[in-house]
Amino acid sequence: MRKVLFYIPLSLFLLLTLFLLSGLFSDPRERDSAVINKPLPAFALADLMQPEHIWTPEKLAGEVFLLNVWGTWCPTCNAELAYLAELRAQGVKIVGLYYELPRDPTFDAPFDLATLQQDVTQKLAQQGDPYQFNILDLQRTLSLDLGVSGAPETFIIDANGIVRAHHIGDINPMVWRGKLAAVYQQWSKP
Amino acid sequence: MKAIITVLMLFCAALSAEEMLQFRSDAERQLFHQLTAELRCPQCQNQNIADSNAIVAVDMRQKTYELVRQGQDRQQVLDYMINRYGDFVHYQPPLNRYTVWLWLTPVLLLLLLLGIGVYRRASQQANANTAADDGSDSAELDKLIARYRSKKP
Repeated sequence: MRKVLFYIPLSLFLLLTLFLLSGLFSDPRERDSAVINKPLPAFALADLMQPEHIWTPEKLAGEVFLLNVWGTWCPTCNAELAYLAELRAQGVKIVGLYYELPRDPTFDAPFDLATLQQDVTQKLAQQGDPYQFNILDLQRTLSLDLGVSGAPETFIIDANGIVRAHHIGDINPMVWRGKLAAVYQQWSKP
Repeated sequence: MKAIITVLMLFCAALSAEEMLQFRSDAERQLFHQLTAELRCPQCQNQNIADSNAIVAVDMRQKTYELVRQGQDRQQVLDYMINRYGDFVHYQPPLNRYTVWLWLTPVLLLLLLLGIGVYRRASQQANANTAADDGSDSAELDKLIARYRSKKP
């Protein structure tokens, strides 16, 4: 009996140690997404390059694609452009959701679409262009509805317009192979 | 000159007034402050959205303001945010099968401690009883009494 009493605190201590040890290797930024397995929220947003064209969830449905939240102001997004362009070459459909920064009315110049278009064209020519097209989320309303906390973030949307994956952070070969490729393949099967 | 300064000052006052949020009642203002204090910024770890100036916190604050102005109550605004950003975004976690351990663990530890205490006390008493029962003490006592008596006459 004494032996058992000795082992109870020891095992509790070991369990606590394991629990705390696992905390050392966990990513504090990782959180469960609230939008997985839900349809895309309703929106009507203009195309970045052809503002007269309005995108809605219905127009996007039909095949599985990646919705990549990005901005030219975001260094991590710029870093992942090259790898995303590689994925596009492999046949992955990627749609950009342009996350525009809010503007301070006192200090910032007012929003100018032509400047932004020029900026984006230049950036994509430099780093590689992974996008079929870009949707401009000027007020970040769709981003808020999708639970976007910053850029870059990437969603996998299936052919019926249901969100199947939500990745916070950049996409690199490790993330793609370890996490997203399987989901993409699962939902791109006919 | 004075007139120009006065006009400039008035202009500044007008600008700063625009920055301030307009509410219809004190209850609405209080609700807004309560909500921005208990909603957590998803970008910057451990700051509420009232505290943070991250883009997403600014947007969430603005949305909270809009929803409060629309007359939504506390639970409706919380649901709106939790539907988009998950339970992470609220500083009061709901009771579910993961969080229930936060409340259960201390109770279970207390019960374990009480159990060990009761067990030890019982085993001590059992030891004391067996010691008294084996008769060696009373035999020794009888011997002492006998020796004392034999010395007396």
